[in-house]
Amino acid sequence: MTLLAALFSHYRRHPLQLLALAAMIVLATMLWTGVHHLTSQARASLDQSESAVAERQQIARQDGKPLTVEDFVELRRAGLCVMPWWEVPSRQGGRVVGIDPLAAGCFESPDSEEAPWQGELDGRPFIDISEAAKLAGKNEGGLTLLISDPHIDGALPEGYRLAPFRVGPDTGELGDSFLLNLDALGVLVLLITALLVRSVYLLGMAQRRDSFALLHRFGVPQARINRLLVVEILLLALLCIVPGIWLGRWLATGLGSGFGRALEGLFDQPLYAGQGGNWLVPLATMLTVVLVACLADFLRPWARAFAGSSRRSGGLVVLVLIAGLALSAWVTDLLWLFIAVALVFVAAGILAPRLIAWLADWRSGHDRNLQARWRHREVSVLARRLALPLVALQFAMAMVLPVQALVTTFESTFDRWLAQRLEADYYIEVPESADATLAVDWLAEQPELAASGLWHRVIRGRATLPGNGDEAGTEVDVFAIGPVGPLVTDWQLLESASRPWQRLQQGQGVMVNEQLARRQNVQVGQSLEVTLGSGSFEFPVLATYPDYGRPAGEILIHPSVLPEDFATGFQSLSVSPGNLDVEEVTGGLKRVWQVDELTVRDNRAIEELATAIFDQTFLLTRAMTTLTLILAAIALLMMGWVFFSTRAWYFRLLVVWGLSVRQASAQLIRLSVSLTAAITLLALPLGIWLTWVLVHRINPIAFGWSLPMAVYPRFWLELGVLSLLIGLSIGLLMMRQLKSPTVAPVNANALAGGER
Amino acid sequence: MVDSLLSARGLNKQFRSGNEPVPVLRGLSLDLERGQSLALTGRSGSGKSTLLNILCGLEKPDSGGVQVLGETFDARSTEAESKSERRWGTLRRQQIGVVFQEANLMPALSLLDNVRFRARLAGQSEDGCQDWLERLGIGELADRYPDQVSGGQRQRAALAMVFAMKPALILADEPTGSLDRHTAEAVIGQLFELQARQGCGLILATHDPELAARCSQHLDLGHVPQS
Repeated sequence: MTLLAALFSHYRRHPLQLLALAAMIVLATMLWTGVHHLTSQARASLDQSESAVAERQQIARQDGKPLTVEDFVELRRAGLCVMPWWEVPSRQGGRVVGIDPLAAGCFESPDSEEAPWQGELDGRPFIDISEAAKLAGKNEGGLTLLISDPHIDGALPEGYRLAPFRVGPDTGELGDSFLLNLDALGVLVLLITALLVRSVYLLGMAQRRDSFALLHRFGVPQARINRLLVVEILLLALLCIVPGIWLGRWLATGLGSGFGRALEGLFDQPLYAGQGGNWLVPLATMLTVVLVACLADFLRPWARAFAGSSRRSGGLVVLVLIAGLALSAWVTDLLWLFIAVALVFVAAGILAPRLIAWLADWRSGHDRNLQARWRHREVSVLARRLALPLVALQFAMAMVLPVQALVTTFESTFDRWLAQRLEADYYIEVPESADATLAVDWLAEQPELAASGLWHRVIRGRATLPGNGDEAGTEVDVFAIGPVGPLVTDWQLLESASRPWQRLQQGQGVMVNEQLARRQNVQVGQSLEVTLGSGSFEFPVLATYPDYGRPAGEILIHPSVLPEDFATGFQSLSVSPGNLDVEEVTGGLKRVWQVDELTVRDNRAIEELATAIFDQTFLLTRAMTTLTLILAAIALLMMGWVFFSTRAWYFRLLVVWGLSVRQASAQLIRLSVSLTAAITLLALPLGIWLTWVLVHRINPIAFGWSLPMAVYPRFWLELGVLSLLIGLSIGLLMMRQLKSPTVAPVNANALAGGER
Repeated sequence: MVDSLLSARGLNKQFRSGNEPVPVLRGLSLDLERGQSLALTGRSGSGKSTLLNILCGLEKPDSGGVQVLGETFDARSTEAESKSERRWGTLRRQQIGVVFQEANLMPALSLLDNVRFRARLAGQSEDGCQDWLERLGIGELADRYPDQVSGGQRQRAALAMVFAMKPALILADEPTGSLDRHTAEAVIGQLFELQARQGCGLILATHDPELAARCSQHLDLGHVPQS
């Protein structure tokens, strides 16, 4: 019999305990690997798309006006190597980019055989700039001047500045925020899993303490016992982490396809990289987590030296809590916000079991009923002994609550918003070569449409809001709609002046989306200076409207206000044909525009697709949080069961003293339910606070928009029912032990009078 | 049998070790009058604790019957288990005090609260509880918790609990087994003194022949003929 075999004999005698620890490591690894795998895939996918739209430098006018050929000439004469980049509509549909091959020579790198823009990018072929000029016709807007040397700022002629240039949508800010959110979820899951693994491990250690003491008395040095324990947990971790990682990747892959579609829906381009990723990061991370979680006792003297007495450490924790809460209200940086959340969670985790124990002790001191006093004291003991799984459950509940609330709010808000945005039945693209005003005239002349149908024209483009002093102006999207009718007047507005839609129709102002209102601190009623084309205008702000899914600022305006030289990005018509057949409408438009084909989208199908994609995202989020909750519940159940077993003797005493097994069981159930109910009650404020942080702090900083802050008492009730079920399950499992006549005090602690 | 405090007839009990049946009690019978004491001796595993458990209803015999304090229990009875459990519960709560070798106290309650808790369960007044602790010499420890006092003091507190409930029968399973000789003598002296004063019956399982000799009856489970 070797020392290792003697040490391991505990698990030979209690194989279920070993199985529980192994299962906990496997499940914890699975959960974290699942989240990590999804995050790293999303990160890889975003990197992929970022590299496809690699950033360059362009030159912009300091006054915010669009660049013209004269600007190009002036810059070239100043000796700057600039290349024109002119995006214009193609005759075949889509867009092409006009470049000057001569100026493109500036960009040739000696290390590269190919200029970086060569070939096709984002579906747009390159053509000579003279061809582009023909296609653009009178419309000179959309000219960009790229500069080859990004470090030339000081040498720019007066009136010009450098600005970032990217092709395709800007996913950077949104993507980073999205990834940061996923990372935060991953960290929280990691913390919960570490707590769970530690709680199960410590339980076994407590039962082995007598064996260690015996070995120590036999002359085995403590250091050797510690080394063997490290080897033991290392072997177990290695054996369990590998299948855990495999299961986690399997889980992530199962959920990932829908996730990929959700990402595409969010960013409007394929972003999910699918399979891949390495095993090393989850393996190393989980190995570290398991080792730290299980062997953290070796750090205890250091922690004690740092924290000092229990009272002092309690004060320190309260300070950490206050600091976290204050930071979460003040900081405007996402990383600091997440640090604040971590501080609050750590402090809440340390304080929760202490608070339950303190309250139970206090009630015990003030209750005249002796049975109740005993019960309160038992709750106090349980709160201290089951602190780790309790905190894990508290965190899981506090995480589930805001996620469920946000997802539910987002579902209803997004559904309503999408339905409003897609109010018209059909969306018809105006061909690049077509004159939209002809269509507008034709549509206005259709009596059937006027009687039963609805329509409006949409023009999209860009505008600039002037910067302060030397600051560059801010580019925003322009969303022009006219005539303003029932297709838009039902939109929910976050804030508005009187008669906003009538005034918009009359061109007496603009509306701004929430992102723009928040970032530029734009208030309803104030005057907003906007550069449209070459002209600068001032409009009163009539309303702010919600605009979910992308971070860009946007102004809603009537087309009649747009100047002649406004660079139209693209145009469309939104039509609900009413009694008319859509074919009659499209047929009429084809005749007016003299084209054979039209791009017509069925908005109902788009709505269905978008809803399905978001449903998948919600499913994924719910699945991950629910899994965490289930894991935490199982851990508490397991721990509660094993811990109650060590205390079964004292419940058995109740039977010895004349209570029936049923009465003693009822006491037991009251105890376990009190404990789980207490932790649920403490999880609620934490969850509600986290909801507030997500809604009012993280979302506005990360995405620019905010959902309405809603709390759902139904979720509270569900968590209450769940805690009741866990408490009941522990009680029911223990009832079996009460019926056994062979229950005896099981450890030295019990012989010494038991913990109180 | 009618006038006795406790009477057991033909008790049989066997356990299983793997597939092997291990008989512990074989047709055992005994009687105890009020004010009498009975010592149960025998080697470890001879069935002392099992017999005590059967005599207070914590275990059921395979066959045989027990009559205690006017209540009759028979292993062959068709009475619903819940009903017999209720009757046993009432007896243990109000009339039968049980003392084990250790862990007789609720660890989360002070010594005084333990005594008051037990008295309350038995339907007795809590007023005299402090007195019982005083009489047993641990009055000044009333507010201490079980883990804050010595093993001997815990056993005295356990006796205080039993006497505070004013039992008709005390079952003590090696109550001084974990104490040093000096403490054990003090505790057992108090047990006999109070038992005599209250006139209740006492059944004491012990390995100590001197202790067994102090009882009015002696039953050696290692030698008693069990048919």
